[in-house]
Amino acid sequence: MTAVVAVAAYLPEGRVRIEEVAGRLGLSGMQAKIFRRYHKLGEVALDPHGGLADLLRGALRRLDGLRGQEHRVRYVLHARTFPTVVPYPHDPVGELCEEFGLGHAAVFAVGHHACASGLLAVDAAGRLLAADDDRDGLALVLTGEKAFTGEAQLVPETSFFGEGAAACLVSAAGERDRMLAYATDPRGEFDTDDQETALEFQRVYADTLAAAITAAVGRAGLAMDEVGVILPHNVNRVAWHQVCRTLGYPRERVVLDNVATTGHVFCADGFINYLTARDRGLLRQGEPYVMAAAGAGSGATFSAMVFAH
Amino acid sequence: MTEQDTAPSAAAADPALRDRLVDSIRELLPHVLKREVAEVTADTELMDALGLSSTTGLELVLELEERLELEISVEELGRDDFGTVGSLADYVAGNLLTEA
Repeated sequence: MTAVVAVAAYLPEGRVRIEEVAGRLGLSGMQAKIFRRYHKLGEVALDPHGGLADLLRGALRRLDGLRGQEHRVRYVLHARTFPTVVPYPHDPVGELCEEFGLGHAAVFAVGHHACASGLLAVDAAGRLLAADDDRDGLALVLTGEKAFTGEAQLVPETSFFGEGAAACLVSAAGERDRMLAYATDPRGEFDTDDQETALEFQRVYADTLAAAITAAVGRAGLAMDEVGVILPHNVNRVAWHQVCRTLGYPRERVVLDNVATTGHVFCADGFINYLTARDRGLLRQGEPYVMAAAGAGSGATFSAMVFAH
Repeated sequence: MTEQDTAPSAAAADPALRDRLVDSIRELLPHVLKREVAEVTADTELMDALGLSSTTGLELVLELEERLELEISVEELGRDDFGTVGSLADYVAGNLLTEA
């Protein structure tokens, strides 16, 4: 059974108020005010002088569980919101693998689930390792991207992207944190610019994400009240309030601490929030928790993964 | 820091306050929708009849705040509250953080 062995994250020190980003992107003062008042976004982490490799390196340097285990890493997966994150022929992930003694590993990107691709990568990593039948094998899942275009800075009417990265080591078996179930609902019908479909996406967003969580929890043989915490994607607070209403799940058990201070860090949110939950003592031994995310762009994907800590 | 459920700070509104809110919403609608709006009553459907979106709806609430010099809790504002002019007035009246 797939297990997450170690997690680390990095957020650059720089913070930019959302009003400043909104102004640069041509949003009105009222639109920025809605983001702050209603969506409860405040500032985003940005590293204006660093590249993607600097973000990922920050997370890798903090991944103490990797030290001395480099030879066991068979796969390195970069989970991405955007299919292309640097121009050809740059390969920051490959270069980092050489830098961290992982040059022998198979390196590839995982995407097309947008911001839910991080969960897809953990699942894929576990499956690859299990198929190898090598109990010592490990996979490294990297998440994090640069918010360097308008599209990579703003989710219209929904969120602002921030920069940061996470790194996690996955094994095919192990005691912590064991993955109990994974549910994902790819919705290709939202791959359109049609306004009516965009409104429909808004209408079904909370219910569909809630359904993915319910499906994962059910597959794990659990009930929602057995779930200790939910580690969300940091899209905004109000979307998660709606999910909580649908689930009948207390919103104080959704780790929304970082929404106002980091923004939506692409596929890395769940792992960043994992560390916040751990530091706050919210993860208790043996207790199940859920990591969940919805991704949009060329379709939509709603995903949830249940772990036992 | 955790999320807490917030209870409305004011009970169901008095009729005079509700009327005042309905009037203000009616006056603000052309500004928010950026077009003239025909006869509007408390029963007018904001989304279905007038084409208010979730974003213009939020803009309407925040404009209302500025016009009436009130602070409105938007924590519990949901899609259903944007059903009609009257339902939005009811939400605002029931979720004031300052005395009307």
